[in-house]
Amino acid sequence: MAAKKPPQGGRNQIKSVKTSVEISGVQFKNPVLTASGTFGYGLEFAHLVDLSSLGGIVVKGISMKPIKGNPPPRIYETASGMLNAIGWQNIGAVEFITRKLPALRKYDTRVVVNIVGFDLEEYLEVTRFLNDCPGISALELNISCPNVKKGGFHFNKNPRDAFEVTDKTRKASPRLPLWVKLSPNVTDIREFARACADAGADALSVVNTFVGMAIDTEKRRSRLRFGTGGLSGPAIKPIALRMVWEAAREVKIPVIGVGGIATTSDALEFLIAGARAVQVGTASFYNPAASQDIAEGLERYCRSHSIADVNELVGSLKT
Amino acid sequence: MLDKRIKVKKIQDLGAGNHLLRLASPKQAGLTRPGQFLMLKCAQGINDPPLLRRPYSIFDIWRQPKTGHPAGMDILVKNVGGGSARLAGLKPGDAVQVLGPLGRPFEVPVGLGNRIRFACLVGGGVGIAALLLLARKLLEQNTHPVLFYGGRVPDDLVLREPFERLGIETHYTTEDGSMGERGQVTLPLEGFLSRYARAGLRVYACGPWGMMKAAHNLAVRHEVPCEVSLEARMGCALGACLGCTIRAWDEKGEEQFLRVCQEGPVMSSRTVDWETPPI
Repeated sequence: MAAKKPPQGGRNQIKSVKTSVEISGVQFKNPVLTASGTFGYGLEFAHLVDLSSLGGIVVKGISMKPIKGNPPPRIYETASGMLNAIGWQNIGAVEFITRKLPALRKYDTRVVVNIVGFDLEEYLEVTRFLNDCPGISALELNISCPNVKKGGFHFNKNPRDAFEVTDKTRKASPRLPLWVKLSPNVTDIREFARACADAGADALSVVNTFVGMAIDTEKRRSRLRFGTGGLSGPAIKPIALRMVWEAAREVKIPVIGVGGIATTSDALEFLIAGARAVQVGTASFYNPAASQDIAEGLERYCRSHSIADVNELVGSLKT
Repeated sequence: MLDKRIKVKKIQDLGAGNHLLRLASPKQAGLTRPGQFLMLKCAQGINDPPLLRRPYSIFDIWRQPKTGHPAGMDILVKNVGGGSARLAGLKPGDAVQVLGPLGRPFEVPVGLGNRIRFACLVGGGVGIAALLLLARKLLEQNTHPVLFYGGRVPDDLVLREPFERLGIETHYTTEDGSMGERGQVTLPLEGFLSRYARAGLRVYACGPWGMMKAAHNLAVRHEVPCEVSLEARMGCALGACLGCTIRAWDEKGEEQFLRVCQEGPVMSSRTVDWETPPI
């Protein structure tokens, strides 16, 4: 929802606000992106959102070969959030490059591709393939999805594994910046942030979904066929925010805040906690224009608070 | 498809927790085709719970009395708590955020009346909401729609009058026979199919999973085409979240997952894996 319009013509009003942010040498026109898995391939929202108003679009996780995904039911709404266990359903890298990316490139926004695989070799294969494709601004390595039985999540079990998969993927993408999307399902996120930064990650997306569960008490079955699912939405925001704050203090590379961001105020909290940019996720499901609203809201906030450059907010938390 | 904040024009209590919600939105009404649905934000604020919008079939298009132009949509809301309770509590003049019309509509080919004699519309409970616009379209194509409408008790059989006004043949069933025939709605359907399958038939069904599965099995046995309007929990209804999929079979008989919001809600019953309910 759009933030309240500030009073116009105040004494401290400034005319132009620099909204662009830089993440490993790539300029994003503003710090608002869409989170992987919540915005499809972007085009699904093109008639409801001005895609060119966004800093970037992180597309649904892409594997080298298409993946069918998990059997239904796959989603369930919970208090202030939802569980999902989609299982990486996607059309595969070739189909994405030939059928989706050309249409997406017509918009004036950055495309970041989230990459998935069931083992290390699959990660490397899709990374090498995408590294050669024009029209992509960065790769986001998904080592934190809780909804597949092998791969992905495995690399998040200990910082050494996270280091190894980041290191090898980094070497397989000499051209494109590599972001790593961390799991919150760990004791200390700082260890993983450190390991990925040491392995050469260019940025960190913090965080993926929290493993959760819901049970149908009549059937005594899980609400999701997969059993467990990833919890997202406003319910996880305070925890995600704390983890972003921890990670941003631990590493020098940019941290991108993800987790329950639904309003301009939410996005501001993440920036102040140390995030260079934010990703809007579940909010896009119930408010398709949420990301655009937030991008516009941030600019309004800066103007009304006499902030000439949005980067002034990043890590500005007072202690 | 549009995402609009629109006004409630009227809300009619149909008894037993059922309400007919009349929404004012000429543009969305004008785009609607039979079998499509709307996503309604049940809370007033976009970020208030319940967060996710809820899918509702478009029961009818209402028109401006003077011009005859589409003015809005009617939807059937059964109050089962949660979001539906909020919708049932709306008053005329209240605003509601509505995305739509959405989804793949029923298939009614031009000239269908030359190929088939009867179209069997099979409704269970609130599943009736998907069938009125379809009945009208079928009449336009010179077929004879026949309604088979079942519920547990007579109170479940809401909105019969709009179908009766069309002058079409109707068959009602309740579990105890207190209205219409006693038993499941597939009972009179089976009799009808046995009698008329050779004359050219199609089956269109919307209702509980078990009812649609039974209608599908009858359609297969009598070798007639069958379309079903499916229900699933939905996230975005834009095809992005992949949350509303059902398990289905492709042309080679291999497993695939189809999005109810995009490849549905209406699908050929023969593509659906009836052993894997999506809710």
